[in-house]
Amino acid sequence: MTLMLSVPLTLSNFSCYSPVCIDSSHFIMSLAAEAFVSQIAEDQILLSDCASSLAVQAYLRMCNLPVQVSYRPNAEYMSPSGKVPFVHVGNQVVSELGPIVQFTKAKGHSLSDGLDDVQRAEMKAYMELVNNMLLTAELYIQWCDDNTAAEISRPRYSSPYSWPLNHILAYQKQWEVRRKMTAVGWAGKNLEQVYEDVSQCCQALSQRLGTQPYFFNKQPTELDALVFGHLFTILTTRLTSDELSEKVKSYSNLLAFCRRIEQSYFEDSQAGSSSRGYSKGPSLF
Amino acid sequence: MAVPSELYCWEGDWGLPSVNTECLIVLAYAKFSGAPLKIHKIGNPWRSPTGSLPALKTSENSSLSRPSEIIIHLRKQKYNADFDLSAKEGADTLAFISLLEEKLMPALVYTLWIDPKNYVETRRWHAKHAPFPLNFFLPGRMQRQQLERLRLIRGDQELAAGEEVERELYRDALECMNLLSQRLGSNKFFFGDSPSSLDAFVFGYLVPILKMKLPNGKLQQHIKSLDNLSHYCSNILALYFPSDRREDSSHKVSSQPEGCDSDHEPRVTRPPFSRSPVTLLPRGRGGRGGALRIGRRIQLIFKAALLPLFQILKLTLPQKLLRMTG
Repeated sequence: MTLMLSVPLTLSNFSCYSPVCIDSSHFIMSLAAEAFVSQIAEDQILLSDCASSLAVQAYLRMCNLPVQVSYRPNAEYMSPSGKVPFVHVGNQVVSELGPIVQFTKAKGHSLSDGLDDVQRAEMKAYMELVNNMLLTAELYIQWCDDNTAAEISRPRYSSPYSWPLNHILAYQKQWEVRRKMTAVGWAGKNLEQVYEDVSQCCQALSQRLGTQPYFFNKQPTELDALVFGHLFTILTTRLTSDELSEKVKSYSNLLAFCRRIEQSYFEDSQAGSSSRGYSKGPSLF
Repeated sequence: MAVPSELYCWEGDWGLPSVNTECLIVLAYAKFSGAPLKIHKIGNPWRSPTGSLPALKTSENSSLSRPSEIIIHLRKQKYNADFDLSAKEGADTLAFISLLEEKLMPALVYTLWIDPKNYVETRRWHAKHAPFPLNFFLPGRMQRQQLERLRLIRGDQELAAGEEVERELYRDALECMNLLSQRLGSNKFFFGDSPSSLDAFVFGYLVPILKMKLPNGKLQQHIKSLDNLSHYCSNILALYFPSDRREDSSHKVSSQPEGCDSDHEPRVTRPPFSRSPVTLLPRGRGGRGGALRIGRRIQLIFKAALLPLFQILKLTLPQKLLRMTG
């Protein structure tokens, strides 16, 4: 069985418009279904969705589950929570990292079983830190910075639609994100303050990581997958300015951390079919 | 330090220095760091310099509203409760604050403002503490704002009170409390023997859950079952806010008979600033008494006429709305 992850994807990458890709070489006994990670099409996907999708992919790979990534322009509308990515296993559809982690746990795959209570509490807290600060900052930069919104986010987001739907949907999305920023108290911030927050968050992650290979010693956990997903995407995505990736680049242990995960979980299978969905621009090397 | 900054925050009740989480965070941080603040406890957010509570009016005459901004401001003035923390502890602080904001805050908003049974209580409290005529619409307005906020945070425009939403939000909240309890263990504070800004945040989120008496007390039951967390909160209350505890007992005696009878509301509606300095009192005394009596009479007439109408509207409107969205 394979897990299907739905993310908006590009056409060049796959056979992905067919709903199920079965790869017998990746058959896993304990999980009796194909998992597909679905995301939005690659020329459509935005930084924040890309980061969340990569985090889920990294997590599934760390669990040693076969992943088939499938890019759909309407992935957002297919997802039960309206957010990408989602996995499609057998007849079950689960979206977002938290529920996916619980789902795989129920199937007997867990990365955090070795942690004690305090470590588990800290792991969850740091995961919320990433969601609370990095993800919100990504959304802010995408939709609330007028330059980025006009040059990157709106054109990409609306690329599958024709006039006038493209304008309507893009502005609707932008409006929704802006109201969310008001609700979480970010509306009053300017771009500088947002970069400052990203920097603060990276500093916290960097402090926590220290010189360890992973956040909790030698074994990766879902926190590692989440941090990798966001930092790697920030590092490899070109935006209107480099400032965001520069903030991350100033923490050398985080860079090394991203490289390490890329090498151990993405590089070696490059030739294999499971890397099909992995095409996020330049690698760190 | 010239003049101390002035802090405006919601009044307290149930033995709490304030009923609002964000106000509690700032109050606790000020106590922990020893910052001298002139505190105005009010029931009318329109009195605050920013129009919302809490608000800090600094000596440079600017005003701040978000707890994190206020804490940064105090830190800049050398009132720093996090001085002894290591870099890693600083990182943990940030992480656990995020955990509270993501997991506990939505459930807290839900339990105070959206849960229909509890909202009756919340509305009554705010109506009691807001001055006439704001008491008629301020609570409803606040509820709409909170509902909107919850909808945007959850990304669900149709969100309304209901079992499923409650179950999801409370599951996150209970998990969050368990994690905090595990992290705290048998420590006195989160990082050793002295309180830091993380303690202010945890206290601000948990103590209202622990102390407020609300009809639907699922969150309260859970926190009471976590001994170390409930001790931790009571301990901070006893150590840093001893006066509010006493106030609570006297308040209970005097307000008990009024609790159930809404016609007695005005007596509890103290004029704003009543606990704060001098300036207003002497000049006002003579004339104000008369004005107050006339004002109160008008208020009572209004209430007699309008209250039934309001009640009918209140009863019918939400249900209609529910039906529409559901």
